[in-house]
Amino acid sequence: MNYDRPQELLKPVKRRFITLTFVVALALELLPLPQGSNRWLPDFVALLILYWSVNQPRRIGIGMAFGIGLLADVVSTSMFGQHALAYSVGAYLILLRQQQLVMFNLGQQTLVILVLMMLIQLLMAVARWSVGASLPGLGYFLPALIGALLWPLLTKLMLLPYRSERH
Amino acid sequence: MNFANTPSFANQGLQPGGRLFLCVLTSLALLIGDSQYGLMEKARDAISVVLYPLQRAANVPLNLTMQVGDFFTAQAALKRENDALRERDLIQSSHLMRMSSLEKELQQLRQLNALAAQPSHAGVVAEVLYTGRDPFSYRLIIDKGSSSGIASGQAVIDENGLIGQVTRVQPLSAEVTQVINRHYIVPVMIERTGHRALLYGFGGGVEVRYLPISTDIRDNDLLVTSGVDGVYLQGIPVARVKQIDRLGGAAFARVRSEVIAGVQSSRFVVIMPNRRLPAAPPVPVSPPADAANTDKKSP
Repeated sequence: MNYDRPQELLKPVKRRFITLTFVVALALELLPLPQGSNRWLPDFVALLILYWSVNQPRRIGIGMAFGIGLLADVVSTSMFGQHALAYSVGAYLILLRQQQLVMFNLGQQTLVILVLMMLIQLLMAVARWSVGASLPGLGYFLPALIGALLWPLLTKLMLLPYRSERH
Repeated sequence: MNFANTPSFANQGLQPGGRLFLCVLTSLALLIGDSQYGLMEKARDAISVVLYPLQRAANVPLNLTMQVGDFFTAQAALKRENDALRERDLIQSSHLMRMSSLEKELQQLRQLNALAAQPSHAGVVAEVLYTGRDPFSYRLIIDKGSSSGIASGQAVIDENGLIGQVTRVQPLSAEVTQVINRHYIVPVMIERTGHRALLYGFGGGVEVRYLPISTDIRDNDLLVTSGVDGVYLQGIPVARVKQIDRLGGAAFARVRSEVIAGVQSSRFVVIMPNRRLPAAPPVPVSPPADAANTDKKSP
């Protein structure tokens, strides 16, 4: 299969690049988009955390996911710890089976990511519910679905700067 | 070193399970600390200041496109807008002339009654930076903060009516909770009759609760702030009554209403000054402070 990444030769990923991707994702959250957009706009920060913990588990682990989650909490004006909790659990679940996940092809990965994105959203809903918000409807999981569908595209995009010229 | 699937033989530090346990424990502590005791405001302030440049940077492309769009506005459109504005100006100036005389009269009456004069209605204009992505909280972030003299508790309006209240102030930005947020309550009165009621936000809309069935209220009645709380100036439009259900078995009428202000669309908002500093909000003071004062003075 063409998509199997272990067959490709990749240059090492720079720390700067990882930071940049997170800065861009956080900036996306800060965009003054129309209010209804949060019904379908996926959580790009969560997607990136999953991506980097699959592909660079030494760089982005549970601790980093927690820290970035705190930033996301402030950015999205939610309760402190809500995103941090969900992201660190997501990163942990990835790390449990990281060596298998990285060998999966993109379709299989997308399925795993779909489950994890839903779990992250569910954790946040439960966190909010436990401090007094009402539980949202099923439409709440649409961003997770869209996020998972974007996974193959994200993977291709992220690999672009790191393809070596000779194949 | 950094190949995609290098197995990590030499694990430094804690096992993943231990790390997860620590992180989950910390986030639960943060959640409880933030929601129950409000301990995290300082940290939130600090992080928001650090993120402020990013906020501004995210706004740059939009502002640019808006400016370019402004530059290429057609002359006909400008002309049309100019005419409309001139017409509105004419109407409003006639209103203003009447207003000023009325205001003078009101001032005199107030002095006669030894009541505190209402402050001038000068507000601070702010721009909406973004709306939080969190679907649970109906909040706006505006680009003025404590450095512009914004304080928590001030009312926020747009050209049509009440949007909400400043609930969290950071040095360069502030968080506005919208009237449609859950647990948000505005004291209102029915403009037509002066009947006072409470308008509750329920997350995505507003409704009047605990209104006796016999109350005189009709469709399309305007609900304006009553001003009894000392937070909102009197007479800011809040919502319009859409539908009234008077069920036989219930003690209260169900009044569905629609917010007037563009809570989800306004780009510019005005932050109104507080009428007076609210005296310790959580403690319900039995008589209003003014009444107590005048009582002391009168004998």
